[in-house]
Order: sequence, then structure tokens, then C-alpha cells
Amino acid sequence: MMRARIFSVCVAAVFVFLGLNLFNMQVIQGRRYRDMSNKNCIRLIPQAGMRGSILDRNGVVLVGSVLSYDVVVLPQESARVEQILAFLSSITGTGLPQLRKNYRKNYSSPSMPVPVIRDVDRQTAAKLEEMKLDIDSLIVQQTPVRSYPHGSLASHVLGYLNEIDHWRLTKLQDYGYKTRDIVGFGGVEEKYDYYLRQEDGGLSVEVDHRGRFTRVLGFRPPLKGKDVQVTLDWRIQKIAEDALAGFKGAVVIMDPFSGEVIACASAPDFDPSVFVKRNYSAMGPLFNDPNAPLMNRAITGTYPPGSVFKMVGAAAGLESGKISSSTTHYCPGSLTVGSREFKCWNTHGNMDLIQAIAQSCDVFFYKTGLAVGGQMIHDYALRFGMGRPTGIELPYESAGNVPNPFWKRVYKFQRWYDGDTANFVIGQGELLTSPLQLCRFTAVFANGGSLVTPYIIKAIDGRDVSAAHRKVSPVNLRRSTIERIREGMRQVVSGDAGTARALAALRVSVAGKTGTAQTSGDKTHAWFSGFFPYEQPRYCICVFLERGGSGGTASVVARQIIESMIQEGVL
Amino acid sequence: MKTEIKIPAIAMTISLVGIVTIYSSTYMKQGEFWQSMYQRQILWVALGLAAYAVFSRINYRRIWDWTYVIYALVIVLLLLVVGSGIVRLGAQRWLRIAWFNLQPSELAKFAVLIYMGRYCSKKSADDVGLKAHRYGIIRGLLIPFFFVAIPAAFIVEQPDLGSGALVFFLFLLMLYLGNIRLRYLALVVGILVAAMPVAWHFLHGYQRDRILVFLNPNIDPLGAGYTIIQSKIAIGSGGFFGKGWLAGTQSQLFFLPEAHTDFIFAAFTEQWGFVGGALLLLLYYLLIRQGINIAQTTGDHYGRLLSMGISLMLAIQICINLAMNMGLAPVVGIPLPLMSYGGSSVIITYICLGMMANINRTRAVF
Repeated sequence: MMRARIFSVCVAAVFVFLGLNLFNMQVIQGRRYRDMSNKNCIRLIPQAGMRGSILDRNGVVLVGSVLSYDVVVLPQESARVEQILAFLSSITGTGLPQLRKNYRKNYSSPSMPVPVIRDVDRQTAAKLEEMKLDIDSLIVQQTPVRSYPHGSLASHVLGYLNEIDHWRLTKLQDYGYKTRDIVGFGGVEEKYDYYLRQEDGGLSVEVDHRGRFTRVLGFRPPLKGKDVQVTLDWRIQKIAEDALAGFKGAVVIMDPFSGEVIACASAPDFDPSVFVKRNYSAMGPLFNDPNAPLMNRAITGTYPPGSVFKMVGAAAGLESGKISSSTTHYCPGSLTVGSREFKCWNTHGNMDLIQAIAQSCDVFFYKTGLAVGGQMIHDYALRFGMGRPTGIELPYESAGNVPNPFWKRVYKFQRWYDGDTANFVIGQGELLTSPLQLCRFTAVFANGGSLVTPYIIKAIDGRDVSAAHRKVSPVNLRRSTIERIREGMRQVVSGDAGTARALAALRVSVAGKTGTAQTSGDKTHAWFSGFFPYEQPRYCICVFLERGGSGGTASVVARQIIESMIQEGVL
Repeated sequence: MKTEIKIPAIAMTISLVGIVTIYSSTYMKQGEFWQSMYQRQILWVALGLAAYAVFSRINYRRIWDWTYVIYALVIVLLLLVVGSGIVRLGAQRWLRIAWFNLQPSELAKFAVLIYMGRYCSKKSADDVGLKAHRYGIIRGLLIPFFFVAIPAAFIVEQPDLGSGALVFFLFLLMLYLGNIRLRYLALVVGILVAAMPVAWHFLHGYQRDRILVFLNPNIDPLGAGYTIIQSKIAIGSGGFFGKGWLAGTQSQLFFLPEAHTDFIFAAFTEQWGFVGGALLLLLYYLLIRQGINIAQTTGDHYGRLLSMGISLMLAIQICINLAMNMGLAPVVGIPLPLMSYGGSSVIITYICLGMMANINRTRAVF
């Protein structure tokens, strides 16, 4: 019976093998199969939560959420679906072929509700809700949708919402973000997405093999995201944006003592609601427009500051003792530095510091700059917060650039000539600053010598967090230095030959400095950076017009803004 | 424990487990037909036990005399199935006799078994030795092949490829056990391998699908691969202790098709886990082991062949069914003996066990 014995061994071996395989499936791989089994019979019906609102400093909603009503159908036999769609068509007036197309397009699995019509109006939603008794597989789902009550107001600061992209997903995956999540892009929406983000809830239901509902397993209510309050005042923001209409550029208005940003406008702007409506024909041009409407020029854009920078040279000269309040230089209309002739924009004659600031005399500052040296001007520029991000809580802030001899050697492989110093001290050449940096720089003279850190977040979820952001550090300048330059800034507006006389007629006393920066094109950048009222400053303002002409144009825009602020009674 | 107690005890335990599992797989379904299914299975098991009692008392040597009668009966029944069988599940496998849906292919396995047992244990007139190992190719291969091929062809025609292949496999097995020359067996196996590509053309579309799907169940997760995937999920998700009786989501929510027949093992292990599955495997092994033990201690060639043949027939069915449940074999319609719902299968299995018990009881005579 040799042959029989072989079989008995074979049978034993096969049983052992089957037993081991059973062990492998149930114990070693059990968890994986358990997950698959749960996936089989557990369906999640998501319920979207509401994203937190963004409020202005007085609690006015800048960005909120409203409920949109979507009509969804539970999948079932095709004849029944056809019947339901026909019924829907008769109630809503949407064509039956369109509904069929939507149903087919949005169908994902036999147990997932299929959205058929998005965003029906309230009356229709109510009507359909009444019909629910007869047709239990028809659901009116409430979905919160981002709403922008002020349209494109402060669109750069607030940002917009869009489907998460690959780059963000790789960064945020560990924090529970998933593909197709809607996240903030740019501004507060992006930076504070973690707080604003709602927690979606849902219903988990058990279904059988045909996807028919058997019982509810659990329910998690959706949670609303936290509200974020910003320091912006929507009225002033609106004034600033209206004044910018027709220009490219930016306006920053800031509290000079605390660093609270009261208004931050950038033009051209965009309508964030096109992203919510998934309006592709309007979204595409936003990304491809050469005017870069999505860029926040106030913090991301960096430009040569022009004559506004002369106050750095003045501070360096006064502090180092190279000039004093009684120093005068004669302006013949140009100055030869090395072998090149550096022009002044006018022939000013004898100038002291205050007159030189008021009339923005280039020759005076060429001479001051050459006396102080390029390196020291660079050092003072850094002390005034240029060349590095200000630390505002908005994404994509630029550092700008402040050149010095070492930098030039390393990056340009060139020596630093006196001509470079002359160019540097009047804010031309390689020097780049953002409007926010210049506003902060001006604040030093408004508040009497402190460098503030601009901030824009006032409170999160009702808790005041401004104390955490407020950071004021002394620049360590002599009292007299500040005083002299302040006087000069006042003379810019009130002096007979001041460059911003346009502001002289206002009911408040304004001080500031204009700037006209040469660009690669034929038109110059226009700047005005100042503060008001002169005696007890409440606001710092920086107006920047990209290729907007001379500094005078910028001061006209600043006048418009301040005038409107007086009219609106917010000053 | 004595063998004559062990065999019915193990068989009844398995049957009981089967009834409990059938209840769990059908109690959620609508309709009297499903709701009363476990009760019918109780009836079949009771009838099976009665058949066991009868056959364990009929001397198995009498079967020798009835061999060709049974064989003829099977052929007639198979002809009837082909001729006037009722259509169910796209296949004609049942024959309605009064209130009983007889499945002649179950009976055919049994008939082939006793026929081969008798054929291979013929003794020569001059000496008492067996003749089988001295048979030439005609007597040793062609004649028994002819006798087996007729019922096998009918079964394949039904179409029930699984049972047909099983009958053919039993034939080879009995030849081997009957000491037929190995070279004949090698010849048959060789022809079989050579014929496979040709056979592929004659397979039905769904049969080809089953084989392709076995090789890769994911090619058609909602069609032919569905059963394999769901069965594997059911078994795997049971884990070590199982989900508990009536708490199996795969079988009770009907993700698992045929949870009361071919895939009853998956339904069982989903609810009882590795603990239950391993115990069940052990019970089956012990049952098979009884037959092998009896074969090894029986002097009579016919009895030995029958006992071994019955054990191996059970073993093959069990192993193929379990392998198919675990996704290790293609889905062929072979039920799990004693557990799967089905009167024919239950009763024939008990008859076979009864004969085994009788061989054990009467072997002392030889």
C-alpha cells in the first residue's frame, strides 16, 4: 500500500497548507481585509462644515459663508432615476437632457448621492424639501459657499479659495489635508487656513451589496471654522482702493505706534468669487495677465524707492556727524562724481537739510552720501527694516534688496564706485523696497524713533492675539535727528517749494516725502510716504504707483485718500 | 474513542456547524424559500444520518453486486437531466423527483468510485493476487476510461465542469490506488496536458472567465472576480476570533454570493475567525483520517480501495472548495461536503461514510 501512504501524507500536507493560508489571511493580513470589508459596507455621506469668516477691526464681515442648496439623488434603478429627473425638471425648469448629463457626470458609486443641480434658489429648495416625503431618494443638500459681501475689497490681503494643488498637498498632507480639499490661496485665507478651515462632518451608514441603506452607524456634526479678525478698517480700505482705481500700485495705511495695518490695497485687484463659482473663463486670465492682478504689490512687489530713501541718507549723515542742521550745500543742477555727471532734477542753489528734503535736492544728498559712504547708508537702511521681510503675517512677503560694496563684489563681480553711492543715496539702482517696508520706515519718524512690526491679525476665534504680534523696537537715533527729518518731511507738504504741496490745503497737517524712481521703461514709479496729523500722528500712509509718473501724482492720490477719510469721518 | 462512534460524531458536528452557518447566511434574506432553508438542511442531515445507519449495516460486499445496477441508474438519471432537466442558475444540474431536487452528478461520483473499486480489485482465477497491475493498456486504461467517460461527459455537458473534472480525477486516483502500471497513468496525464489548449476552445465563456479571474481577480472586480474578492475579504476580515455569529457583514449583507453553498466556508470563518476555521479544518482532517486508517487496516482489496477512495474523494472536494474560498483555486461549482446546503450532496456523503463505517465493522471477516 505504498501508493495509499503517499496520499495520506499529501492530504495532511494540503491541510497544513490550507491552515497556514487561513492563518495568513485572518491573522497576518486580517487588518487589511477588515478595512476592505468595512469599505464594502460602510459609506460616508459627507456634510460640509462652514469655513470661518474674516472680519474687519470693527467686526464687519469681509469674507463669510452662505448656504447653497444642491439637489442630490441617491442612485438606484435607472427607470426610477429617470422618473425622479423628470420630476426635478418640471419643478426647477432645468432641461431633462442637462439633468441626465449631470447625473452621468457626477455618478461615482451606487451608494454615493449624485449632485444633479447645484445652487438652486431658496424657494425651489423649500418646494423640493416638501416633496421629500414622496421621493425619499431626493435630497436637498445644504453646502456652505464662500461669499464676498464687499466684492473684490482687500482681495489681496484676504486671498481666495481654490482646490488644493500638488505642492500644497505634499506640505499639508500630514495635517489631514486631502486631495480635492478647498484651501486658501494667498493672504489671510492661506496663512490662517488652519484656523479658518471647517471640520467636515458626515453620516456613516451601512449598506448591503446593492448599496441599499441598512442602518446608520454614526454621525459627526460638521464644525464651523474659527473666525479671524483682521486690523483692516473696511471703510479706509475702500477709500484706498477707490483712490487707486485706474492705477497700478499699492497703498498701505498703518498705525505708526502699534504697526496695525489699517488698509492694504493693491491694484489691479481680482474678484475672489470667480474661484468659488469655478468660472474657468475668468480664472485663466488672472494667472496669465501681464499686470499680475493676483500679486499683492504692497508686500510682494519690490521697487526702487527713489527720493523717499533720501531720509536714510539724512539720518546717516546726521548720526555720523558728517552733516548737521546748519550744513548747506550748493546745488548747481548737477554734480560730477568720478567721470560721470549726476544730474539734479532742478537747480536749487544753496540748500540746508530741511530744504533739501522739502525740495528733494539730489546734489545735497549726493554730497551727503559721498561723505557718509555706501556701507553706512546700507547699515542705516537695514536699521530702518529694509532688505528683510517686515514679518507681517501674510504669505509671500518679499525681502527687497539693499546693496553694499560687499554685495556688489559677490553678486556682480564689480567694485563699488562713488557713482554707486550717489545712485544709492537717492534710492535708485539696485535698491528695492516694498511699499509696506517704506510705510514702516516712515513710521519711525511718525512715532519718534521706533521700528514697528506691521501686523494684520487682530483676533482669532474672538481671542485677541494682537499682543503676540505687536513688536516695537527702538532704532536708537538721536532725538534731534528725528526732529530735523520730521521738520523736513513737514516742509515737503507745507513749504513754498515742497514737492507735495498738493497736500497743504487739507484740514489735517500731513508730513511726508515724495519719490520718483526711474525704471527700465520711460515712465517713472511714483511714491508718497508720510504720516498725519503731523503733531500727533495717527496714520502712516504709503502710496505707490507703478509707472505712475512723478511723486506729485502719488501725493495727489494721498490727498484724495485723506480727504475721503475726513469726509467719511474716520480720521 | 472507537472509529464507529468517531465517524458519525465528527460528521454530525460538521453538519451542525453547517446548519448554523446556513441560518446565518439566509436569515436576512426575504421570502419563505430562504427563511426555511436551514430547516430543509436539518431534514437532509436527518435523512443522511438515516442513510448512514442503513449503509453502515449493509455489508459493503453487496455493493459489489449492485455496481452495474447503480452505474446504469446514474447514466439514466444523467440522461434525464440532459433531456428534461430544469434550468437553474443557467445550468441543468437538478432532476426533480417528487419534492426532491436530485443532483445526479453527486451520485455519479459515488458510482464511479464503486465501479473503479470493483474493477481494480478483481482477482485472477489461478492465484489470489490482484490482476490490475498486470493489465495491458486496453484492460488497464481504455475499458475503465470508457466506463467513466460516459457519465463524465454528461456531467460536463450539463455544464458542470468542476464535477466532471472531479469524476475524471477520481478515475485517475482509483487507477493509481489500484496498482495500474504507472506508464499508463503517465500517458493519460501527458495527453491531458497536451489537450489543454484545445480544451480551452471548448470552454464556455464564463468558464474561461473564471480561470482568467482566478489568475487575476482584479481584472473584473464587479463581474466574475467579484466572488473571489468578496470571499477573500470575508475570510480575512474575520480575524482571529471572528466577527461573531450573525455579525458577519460580508455574508449577512450579501456581499458574498452563494454564502450558503459553495462559499459557506467564507461565511463561517468570517463569523468565527481563525479559531473556528482551524477547528473546522481539524474536524475535516480527522474525518478523512478515519477513512485512511480503515483502508490501512483492512485486508480486503475492495474494501481498502473503497475506503481510501471515499476518503480521498472527500479530501479533494474539501480541499478544492477551501482553496477556492481562499482564492487559491478557480471558482468551480464544488460544494463543501457536509456543510454546504444541498440534499444530494449531504445524503451521498453520509452514504459514503456509512459504507466506510461498514468496511471498518466487517474487516475482521477477512
